Amino acid sequence: MIRSRAHWATAGLAVTALAGLSACSAGAAPGGSTDAEATGPVTIEVWGWNAETGEQVAEAFNEAQDDVTVKYVLQASNTATQTNFQNAMEAGSGVPCLVQGFAPLTTMVVNGWAQDITEQVEPSADLYNAGALAAAQVDGKYYGLPSGSDGQFYIVNQKTFDKYDVEVPTTWDEFVDVGRELKKHDVDVTNLAGEDPSGLMNLAQQAGAEWFAIDGDQWVVNFTDEGTLAAADVFQQLIDEDLVSNQTYMDKPALYKYFDSGKMASTTTQWWSLTGYQTGFPDSSGDWAAYPIPQFSDAAEPVTPGRTLPSFVPEGCENPEAAVAFSDWLTTPEAIEAGRNEETGAVGFPVQIPDPSAYVEEVVPKDFFVDDKAAGEEIVAAQERVIGKFELGPDYDAWFPELQDQWGKAVAGEITLEEALTAVQEFVAADLESKGISYTVAE
Amino acid sequence: MSVNTHDNHAGLREPVPGSPHDRRPGGGASPRGHTPRGHTPRGRIPRWNWRTAQSVKGASFTFPFLAGFALFVLVPVGMALRESVYTTKSTGGLGFGGQTVSFAGLDNFAAGLVDGPFWAGMLRVFLYALVVVPLTQVLSLALALLLDAARRRTAARFRIALLLPYMVPGIVATMVWIYQYSPTVGPLTPFFEMFGLDVNFFSSSMVWVSMGNLAVWGAVGFTMLILYGALQSVPHEVFEAARLDGASELRIAWSIKVPFVRGSLVLTSLLSIIGTLQLFDQPLLFRAVTPETITRDFTPAMMIYDQAFKVGNLNYATALSVILALVVGVASAIIYRFTNREES
Repeated sequence: MIRSRAHWATAGLAVTALAGLSACSAGAAPGGSTDAEATGPVTIEVWGWNAETGEQVAEAFNEAQDDVTVKYVLQASNTATQTNFQNAMEAGSGVPCLVQGFAPLTTMVVNGWAQDITEQVEPSADLYNAGALAAAQVDGKYYGLPSGSDGQFYIVNQKTFDKYDVEVPTTWDEFVDVGRELKKHDVDVTNLAGEDPSGLMNLAQQAGAEWFAIDGDQWVVNFTDEGTLAAADVFQQLIDEDLVSNQTYMDKPALYKYFDSGKMASTTTQWWSLTGYQTGFPDSSGDWAAYPIPQFSDAAEPVTPGRTLPSFVPEGCENPEAAVAFSDWLTTPEAIEAGRNEETGAVGFPVQIPDPSAYVEEVVPKDFFVDDKAAGEEIVAAQERVIGKFELGPDYDAWFPELQDQWGKAVAGEITLEEALTAVQEFVAADLESKGISYTVAE
Repeated sequence: MSVNTHDNHAGLREPVPGSPHDRRPGGGASPRGHTPRGHTPRGRIPRWNWRTAQSVKGASFTFPFLAGFALFVLVPVGMALRESVYTTKSTGGLGFGGQTVSFAGLDNFAAGLVDGPFWAGMLRVFLYALVVVPLTQVLSLALALLLDAARRRTAARFRIALLLPYMVPGIVATMVWIYQYSPTVGPLTPFFEMFGLDVNFFSSSMVWVSMGNLAVWGAVGFTMLILYGALQSVPHEVFEAARLDGASELRIAWSIKVPFVRGSLVLTSLLSIIGTLQLFDQPLLFRAVTPETITRDFTPAMMIYDQAFKVGNLNYATALSVILALVVGVASAIIYRFTNREES
C-alpha cells in the first residue's frame, strides 16, 4: 500500500473524485422515513477523501437544486474511509449514502456493503460513457455509480525515437521490436516496476482476458486464458531479452530522473500522471508525444485499458435516488466547473461523460508535449475507447499481494509469467475454497 | 533503569554494599525509613490497620495504569482469543449472500502450527535476529563504554546525537534509508564506487544487509542509553580501587563495567529480540524494491497482516498472532533463564 501502486492510484483517485466520484450517503436522514414527503430536502452524507474540492462541489450542488442536500464528510485517506465505513456498517448507524470507492466493486458486493441501484441508475444512463456504465456493474446489475476509468495512452520521448530513427509502435509486437532496436543504443523501451503488476492487468484487460467470470451460481476462474497469455507473452519477451528497466515507484526521484534521462523511451500512462511528469522531467519536457496505446494485432477494434474503483451506495442508505441524483449532477458543466481547484486552477477531467473533449485542454500540461493539441486528441480518444470493466472477482484483496509476489519473481527472471499466473490461479482457488465461495477453474 | 538508579543511590548512601550485586526489582528496594509513625489513619478507615491502608494507598497509584492495561491489552487479548476459535465462511454461491461464523475449536491453531510459509518466516527472522541482536548489543555497549569514558559534558552531547535515530519513526527511517540506498539518486552508491565497489543495496542478496543496517542504526541509540545509564550506577570507588591496583582502562571496562551492566544487557537483548521477531514495517517498505525476495508472508508479522487485512481471514490471523506471542514469550523466557543462571 505503501507501495507505489497505491501512491499512483491514490493520486489518481483523488483527482478522479473531483471529476465525478465523490461519494454520497444518506446517513440518518431525519425526515426520510414517514412524514418526509412534503417537507424539505433529503439530506445525504457523502464520504470521500477529496480534500481539495469535495466540499466545494457539494456546496455548489446544494445551491443548484432544492431536493437533496449533500453533506460532504471528508475522510483522511482511502484507508481511513474504509476503516470508518466498516465501523459504521458494524454499528448499523451513521451509514452514509455515497462512498468513494476504496476497493473494487465486487469486493463491496461480497462484503454486503453496496446496494443494488439498477433501478435508479438506468434512467440516466445516457449521461455516461460506455466504460463508466460497464465499470459500475457486477453480474449485470448496477452496484456502483457510473464511474469513469482513466483511459491509457502511450507517450514516447520523440527526441529519443527520432535520434535513433525508430518508428512509434502501433501494435504490441512492434513494441517489442522497438525494444530490441533501442536496446542496441542502450535505451530501454519502458520500465516494469517489480512491485506493480498493474501493467500486466491492463494488458490482459486490453487483450480481452477474463480472470473471473460468473456462470450461474459460481465463479469461473481463469488466469491463463488466451488474452492473458497474449499479454504475458509481450512482457515475457521484454523480460527475457532484457529490454526494460525495473525501477521501483518507491524511489520516485530516481524513477523520474531515469524517465527524464532519455534512456527510457516510452511508457503507457493516463491523464492524471501528466502534471507530475511535467514537473518531474525538467530536461526532457517538450520532447514527449502522445500516441494511441499499442494494440494486439488481432484486435477487432482498438480498445484502451482502464479500470476504476466506482463509488457506491451502501446497504442501509434509504435514499439511493438522492445519491444517484448527485452523481448525475456531477456530469453537468456547472458541476465540473465547481470542481475547479482554487489553488491550481485546474478542473478534474470528467472521465465519466461521453465527450470530455471540452476539458482536455485543461489537463494537458504546458510545454510537456511537442504538440499539445495532438496530445489532447489522443487523451480524448483513449477515453472514448476505454473498456472500464475488468472483473476482479470476490477476493481481490487476497490475491493481489500474491500476484505482486509472483510478478516480482517473474520480472526478476526467476520464473516465467505463465508459471506466475498459474500460481496466482492456484492461490485464488485455495482462497475461494477456504472462504466457502463456489468456483470452478477453467480448463 | 530506574531500578539501577535506585540501587545506585541506596549504594551510595549506605556504606555496606561492596559486592557488585545487581538486584532485580522487588528484591531489596522496600520503602525503608518512611514509616509514618505520627499520623495513623485510624479514624478514617477503622477496619484496616495502617499497614494495609498504606499498601492500598500505594497500590492505588497503579490503578490508572492497570485500567489502561486492561482496556488496551487484556481486553484485546481476550477478544483475540475468542476470535481465534471461530471460522468465518461465505454462505456459498458467488459469495454475495453474506457470511456465517461457526465455532472451530483449535482448528486455526492446528493449521497455524503446520503452516509452511508462517514457520519459514519465523526461521527467517530468527536467523536475522541471530546477527542483528548481538551486533546491536555489542555496538551499543562499545558506544556506552566510550561515552562513559568521556567527560560528562561531551558525553551529554553525543548521547543526544546517538539517540536521534531512535526518535525517528520506523516508517520514516525506512523511507529515509531507501533514498540513501537508491542506486540512482542515493549518495551511498557513488561513495562505494570511489573505492571501486559496485554495491546495489536494492538487490536480493543485499536486502538483509540493507534492513539490518537500518535496524541497528535505529536501535543503537536507545540500547546505548540504557547501558550508559546502568554504567552511571557503578560505584566509583570500585574504579579507584582498580586503578590503585594498576588496572588499565580497558581492563576496568571489561572486568568491572561489563559485568555490572549484565542485567541491563539482558533487558536490552530481550527487547531487541522481541522487536526483531515482530519485524514488520521495514520489510513491508523494502518489499517495493525487491519484491522477488520480500514476499507478502516474508516475516510472521507480515503474514499476520496479510491474513487479517488482505485475505480477510481475521480468525486465522489472530490464531497466528497468538502463536507468535507464544514463540516470543518462550524465547524470552529461555534467554532470561539462561542469562540469569549464568549470573548466579
